[in-house]
Parts: sequence; C-alpha cells; structure tokens
Amino acid sequence: MAELGEPQPARAVFQTRADPDGLPVVAVSGDLDMSNAPALERVVAAAIAERPKRLVFDLGSLRFMDSAGIAVLLGATSKVDAVRLRNPSPAVRRVIELTGLTDILTIET
Amino acid sequence: VHQQATASADPLEPQPIAADREGPASPEASGDAAAPLRQTRRARWRWRPSRAALLALVVGLGVTAALTLTSLAVYNRNERRLLNLRVRELNLVLAASAPSIQTPLASASELARATDGNPAKFRAFMVPFVGAGRQFTSVSLWPLGLAHTAPTAVVGTAPVLATLPEGSRRFLALSQHAGVLNVTGLLNIAHPSLGFEFSAPGSSRGYAVYSESPLPANRRSKLESNSAFSDLDYALYLGRSQRRSNLLLTSARSLPFHGRHAADVVRFGAGTLTLVVAPKGSLGGTFFADLPWIIAIVGALVALAAAALTDRLAWRRQRAEQLAVELDSVAAQNRSMYVEQRSISETLQHALLPDTLPELRGLSVSARYVPAPTGGEVGGDWYDVIALDDTSVLLVIGDVSGHGLQAATTMALVRHAALAYVAEDHEPATVLSKLATFVNSSSHDYFATVLCALVEVDAHRLTLASAGHMPPLLLDEGRGVFVECPAGPPIGVPWSSQHRQSSIEVPPNATVVAFTDGLVERRGEVLDVGLARLRDLASRQQLAIEDLLAKLAGELTSEDHHDDTALVGIQWQS
Repeated sequence: MAELGEPQPARAVFQTRADPDGLPVVAVSGDLDMSNAPALERVVAAAIAERPKRLVFDLGSLRFMDSAGIAVLLGATSKVDAVRLRNPSPAVRRVIELTGLTDILTIET
Repeated sequence: VHQQATASADPLEPQPIAADREGPASPEASGDAAAPLRQTRRARWRWRPSRAALLALVVGLGVTAALTLTSLAVYNRNERRLLNLRVRELNLVLAASAPSIQTPLASASELARATDGNPAKFRAFMVPFVGAGRQFTSVSLWPLGLAHTAPTAVVGTAPVLATLPEGSRRFLALSQHAGVLNVTGLLNIAHPSLGFEFSAPGSSRGYAVYSESPLPANRRSKLESNSAFSDLDYALYLGRSQRRSNLLLTSARSLPFHGRHAADVVRFGAGTLTLVVAPKGSLGGTFFADLPWIIAIVGALVALAAAALTDRLAWRRQRAEQLAVELDSVAAQNRSMYVEQRSISETLQHALLPDTLPELRGLSVSARYVPAPTGGEVGGDWYDVIALDDTSVLLVIGDVSGHGLQAATTMALVRHAALAYVAEDHEPATVLSKLATFVNSSSHDYFATVLCALVEVDAHRLTLASAGHMPPLLLDEGRGVFVECPAGPPIGVPWSSQHRQSSIEVPPNATVVAFTDGLVERRGEVLDVGLARLRDLASRQQLAIEDLLAKLAGELTSEDHHDDTALVGIQWQS
C-alpha cells in the first residue's frame, strides 16, 4: 500500500500579520512545495481579499521553495500592485533568479 | 507497479499503448482481485463453533462433572456418618428411658413381696402412675408359682394380657428372668399395647408386676417438633426383625424406608428393640446438600462462558485474517485501478507529446518523459523539437504550473501556440515574447516556464531564450556547464515584457540537455545542489544521447519525487 499513498506533505507554517502601516505580511516558514502550495494559495487569497496595495512575503524562515511555490508568489502579483519578498534565503533567492523573476518579485533586504 | 511508474516514453521508438497496459492493469488481474472478496463475504455469515471452543467446552464440562461427583461422594459419606451418629444417639435415649418404666414396677414388686401381695397397698402405690396422660393404662399384680395365673390386684383398665391366657402364660414364664424389665408386644389385636413385667429377684414365691401402655392403632407417633431428633423419621420394631407385624411405633407414612437409612438394635431391659431411622432432609445442612448442584451449574456456566469466549477469540482471529485478505484484495484492486488511471494519464500525456522527433544529418535528437510516480496525474511538462530546415531545429521545452487535466490542457494550449509562433519566426526571444503576449491577452491563472533554443547544426551555434526556465546543460569531453542565458520571467506573469536571447558556439561533439525542474528539484534541497548532481552525473558519461537521457532519467528521478520530468537532448555528430 505504501507505494500508493501520497507523499508526505512538506512541513510549512503560514502566518498572516499586518505591518505597522496596516498592509498584510504572509510569513512562510519550513519547506514549500507542490504538496502544500495550494494551502498557501488559500492563505494568500484571504490576505489580499481586501485588495491591499502591497503584499509582503516574509521568507526569513523558508528553507526551500520549488516551482509550485513560485507559482503562488506569482499568482499574487496579478492581484496586488506590488509583491515583495522579505529576507529570502540564498536557496530561495536562487530559484527566483533562475526563473527570471527578480524584476517582478521585489526582494527586500 | 514499479516498472509502470518509471516507464518512460521515447518518441523515437513510439510504443503501442497496449504494451503499457501489461501486468496488473489487465482486466484479468482486476477480476482476480475481486474474487477473494466474494469468497470471504460468503464465509463470514456461516457461523460454526471453532474447534478450540468445543475443546474448551468438553474440558470444562469434564472438570465440572468430576468436581460434582467428588462433591456428591463427600456429601453422601458425610450424611451416612452423621446418620450413624444420630441413630446411636437415639438408641441411647431410648435405652435410657427404660429405667423410668422399670423403677415404679420394681418398687411395686418389692412392696408386694414385703406385704405379701397386699392388694390395697399395691393399688395405693401404683395409682399415681396409671391413667390417661400417665405412664401406664393398666398395672396388675400377679402372684408367681401358681398353676392358674391371674392378677390379684389391678389398677386402671383390665390387662389385655389376662384375656390371652396362653400368651400371658408364655410371657410370664419369662419372669424367671427376675430382676430385669421384660417387654412384650400385644400387637395384633384391637387395642395394641406394649407390656412390661418386673419381678423382684431372689424369691421363690414372688410377685410379678405387670403394666401396659397402649400403642396407637396406626402406630403413628411423631417426635415432637422441638425435639433433638425432629430431623429424623424413625421406626421402632419389637425384636430384631423389621417385619411390619413387629412394628411398635413410627413417624413415617410408609415403610420400609427407601433411600438412606440406618438401623440399630436397642437393649430395652431384657427385651430387644430395633430402631430404624431415615433423615427427613440433609443432616449436614442444605448448603452441603446443594453444593454438588451449585458446582454442577456454576461449572457448566463457566464451561459455556469459556467456550463462548474461546469461540469469540477464535472468531475475531478468523475475522482479522479475513480482513487482512480483504485488505489485500482491496489493495490489489486499488493498485490495478491506480495503474489503470496512470495508464490513462500516460496515454493522454503521450497524445500531447510529439510522436516523432526530426532526424537531421550531423545531429542526434532524443527526448524522454517521466511522469510523477506518486501522483498518478498528468503533468504540465512538454517538449517539441521542430525541424526548420536541413541544418537547424528549434527546441522548445516547458513546464506549466500545476498538475492534472487542467495543467495538461493548458500545456496543450501553450504548446500549440508556441508551435504556431515557431512557424512564423525562428528567433527564440521572439517566439517567447509572442507567446507571453498571447497568454496575457486573456485572463488566465497559470504560469509556464519555457526554454526556446535554436540549434544550427553546421554552424555549431546555440541561440537560447528562457522564460524563467532552467538553463540547459552543455557537455563536452567530460566537462559540463549550464549555459548562461538571459532569464526573463515565466510566460503568464503580468507585465512580462520582451524576452532576450543569447548565442554561443558549441564544440564539435557537444551534447546539450534541456530539462524541466523535476530532474533537479528535491524537497528540502537547495536548487544548486540538484543542478550540480545533474552536471556531475552527466559529465561522467560517454554515452549516445538516447542512453544518456535514459541514464539521467533513471538515476535522478526516483520513486518519491513528486514532479513529472521532461528531458530533451541533442548531440552533434562529427
């Protein structure tokens, strides 16, 4: 039966809070991949439901992200004016560079 | 299943779809999987006590029977012992009552001898003992040694003995046994009585004092309910015989006693009585009488309970085994369904991927697609290699975000749009820019990374444009590098602008491998590690392009990777 089961979802924690200026910040920690990207998608949808001007992803504790995670970040770009990534690790930054998204997903340092 | 999961499509050698459906996916296999289900369902409703339960029942009942019999034997022995004790006690009590009869008679006999048979004095002495409610109904004084025996004095009723001359003679002849109480029964007459005689010893011309006590006509006489012997039935016979004609008294309705009884001989003066007693109930108490039955009932219940418990345990075990069989068959069914679903997915994927790759002089082209083994879903990866003329091809490889039929149909859309733009223009950057404009022209919720490469065979030139896609790996004489190319954003990203391209010259026998992220991405791993693994593995190989792709796909995609993977390779032939 083992070979029939879904792979264990990656462990990740999503947390939405507000910046001092009232704009939403979605903190993503752990590993983000195809298995839990849809969950993040729902979190993001809730965070931008009130059409904020800007959305910040706090990636300080995100260890790993794959193309499914990229897709979630990109999905947000079509709904808010600006998407910013805060403190991405070198590994995450590398994925963003490889996919040519440095102009679209602004990296805060 | 393993074979199925890693089955790869090689468009150079298109395989018939039927070949993919060998093994567990065949309809016979799924039919076999359903058969045990039906069997176990039938077996489940046919209850039969298990052998272990029957054994437990037999052993339990055997032990119960042994205990019951032992208890019964102990009880019987105990009762018999108690009964023997009681009959001896009763014997002593009866024997002890003899003096209360003998004493007044002996005194009267001495008085008669002293007064020489004075009837007045005799009567005066005996009156208190005679009458209704007293010891005797009749007492009489008989002078001994006369030819004609007749009483000289009578107190109370006339003695019955006097009306039976031969009987009286016979009985009084016994008075030569002087000094002891003689007993006779006057039984087979209208008013049965018991007669007692006493004559003082040591005198040739003495007097016999004779008394009579009546017996009930039916001989029934109960012991008083508060007496120490009220738990017994008794029968008292005159003499040693237990004949009915000798019966003096009994408390029983019918004689002789059936069941447990005990007899003892009672010395009553010079006479002999036989005492027979039977217990009315249990002498040792009702609990001990009931104990064998309590043991039998409790033992039988315990044996039944043990058997039921054993049977239940056996049944549960059997049930668990059945369940395991069912689970196995369900698993087999699931496997076959899964394989079937995979087969559908793969069939669809194959339909969406090119059947053939172009064949050019001086260039080998190969491609491989590995579906994600765990999801069973169609992926969004695709590739195309389009011959532009005899010396150049355009290579497109891409990955649409998401999985499932949605991703596959999106992939088909993007793929065919790309094919259309390739037909218009051969510049990779132009193709990508047009594709981006096309995708952004309508509402959409997907993204696609696309790598577009123009391969000029004779010129040994490679022109690349990337929309967020992984750079291709260039291999030459044991060295491997990822080709730097300007990376634009993925197709479908808003504001994705003009894409740029760059060209490099490649060595004469160079190999270029383009791939999707399934080949290098692993959970929890930095992307560069995966890229380095690919580069190190590929650069060590000296293989034809087709074998190289097979090697890379075999070693870098594993059972637990979750993404589908596409690889396209080209190899210049000198």
